Amino acid sequence: MRLDATTVRRLLIVLLIVAWEVLPQAGLVPRLFLPPVSATVAALWGSAPEYAYHLWVTLQEVAISMLFACVGGVAAGLVIGNSVRLRQLLLPLASAGFAIPLVILYPLFTAWFGIGPESKIVFASVYGFLPTLLGTAAGVQTIDRHLVTVARSLGASRFQQITRVFLPAAIPTVLSSLRIGGALVIVGVTVAEMLTSTAGIGFLISRYRTLLDSPHVFAAILLVLAMAIAFDWLVQLIERRVAGWQRAIRTEQAPAAAYS
Amino acid sequence: MAARYETALIRLIIIALLFGAWEFAPRADLVNARLLPPASEVFTVFFGLIQDPGFHGHLATTLQQTLTAFLIAVPVGALLGILIAENRFAGEVFKPLVFFVFSIPKSIFLPMFILAFGISFWQKVAFGVFSTIFIVMMTAFAAVASVRSDHIRVARSYGANLRQIIARVYLPSMTPVLLEAVRLAMIFNFTGILLAEMYASRAGVGNLIGTWGRGFQIPQIMAGIVTVAGLSILFNELVRWFERRCEHWRGDR
Repeated sequence: MRLDATTVRRLLIVLLIVAWEVLPQAGLVPRLFLPPVSATVAALWGSAPEYAYHLWVTLQEVAISMLFACVGGVAAGLVIGNSVRLRQLLLPLASAGFAIPLVILYPLFTAWFGIGPESKIVFASVYGFLPTLLGTAAGVQTIDRHLVTVARSLGASRFQQITRVFLPAAIPTVLSSLRIGGALVIVGVTVAEMLTSTAGIGFLISRYRTLLDSPHVFAAILLVLAMAIAFDWLVQLIERRVAGWQRAIRTEQAPAAAYS
Repeated sequence: MAARYETALIRLIIIALLFGAWEFAPRADLVNARLLPPASEVFTVFFGLIQDPGFHGHLATTLQQTLTAFLIAVPVGALLGILIAENRFAGEVFKPLVFFVFSIPKSIFLPMFILAFGISFWQKVAFGVFSTIFIVMMTAFAAVASVRSDHIRVARSYGANLRQIIARVYLPSMTPVLLEAVRLAMIFNFTGILLAEMYASRAGVGNLIGTWGRGFQIPQIMAGIVTVAGLSILFNELVRWFERRCEHWRGDR
């Protein structure tokens, strides 16, 4: 019997988790570097109220930053992507800006806004903004121009063209940029908390690292991973629902188009 | 051609206006000059920095770490990526795993590198490699996908040997995608190394910027940002220029 790829992959993952438990237990990997799964879960369970409080702080910061980064990035991306002139002018600047390692801005933001949540929100918003903008602007260009032309020749007003044709066609692009931008916002908030802060999951990671308490460090890392994966699943879920809805419209519209 | 120059001109004007606002706003007391020192002051500090031998030492540390990580991550990542993508079964097993690891944030693992390697040169390099290698592998997957199987079939039926197929079919098709890998790898690498330096280190530009941040030395922080931004934009545009040259050369054939 030959194993198929999915089974091999699942076996590999199980093997990795077993190795994560067995190798440190057997002393083959120092426990300081890799605490066994059991110790990590025990640490997470034992300090659950503390983790819950700091997770709540982080989630609030992430939510506000996402509002700024994603709404701002999508709006700017739609405007820039839609105009040939602005695209030629600004996209090269934006993609050059994308090459700058933005982490170095964080000390400036702490000097400006203090070490409270404000500096994290500003940093994560800036961190997620450019990729969202670039993704949206690139996607807008791929929208089928004929859709707009048809709508215009059927007498749609400028407003109708935007709300009925342009926005529905742009939704998949917008969602995939949100996925990238949102993930970066989560990273931005956690990294900022790791560098200088007084609360949040990133703060816990750094505090337990200085205490050399690696099970607690790993438990906090797992929480951040869970947050990132949960966000990704959420956007994928919306993507699938929207995609289904778009197909439904297309099949509904197909006969109508044939008649007209 | 005229339109292209015009666009470049307007772009220059936008940049000049931004710098003008940066100079004018603190001087006219529209913003607090302690929080946002005027551009001229920051650039005075910047020119002082780039002549300061102490700063050269920090810059050399950062660049050495970045280059070492880059020289490990790009060939190893590209090779692993190509090997995985070339074998159907390995691709089916490993590609989803690489996609998954690529999508999770890697900065949060930085403390584990400190616990494992201590605060050292190799800790920064290892973290740089870790934060870069997955994007290189993903780009290598795309590079393999860009090689068209009918090109290989034609080459083979004309009797090309493996070396000729690699040199004449694989490399030309893959070059633009691999150049993109080089560009992205450098961005990710530089970010990773600077973050590791800001987090815990004894030297390097990231260490300096972190120290200035704690000391509230805003002109110095901004001069540091100007240096790092300048270096990254320079490298980025260099690779992009090379990419465009390759496109011309591909188009001519």
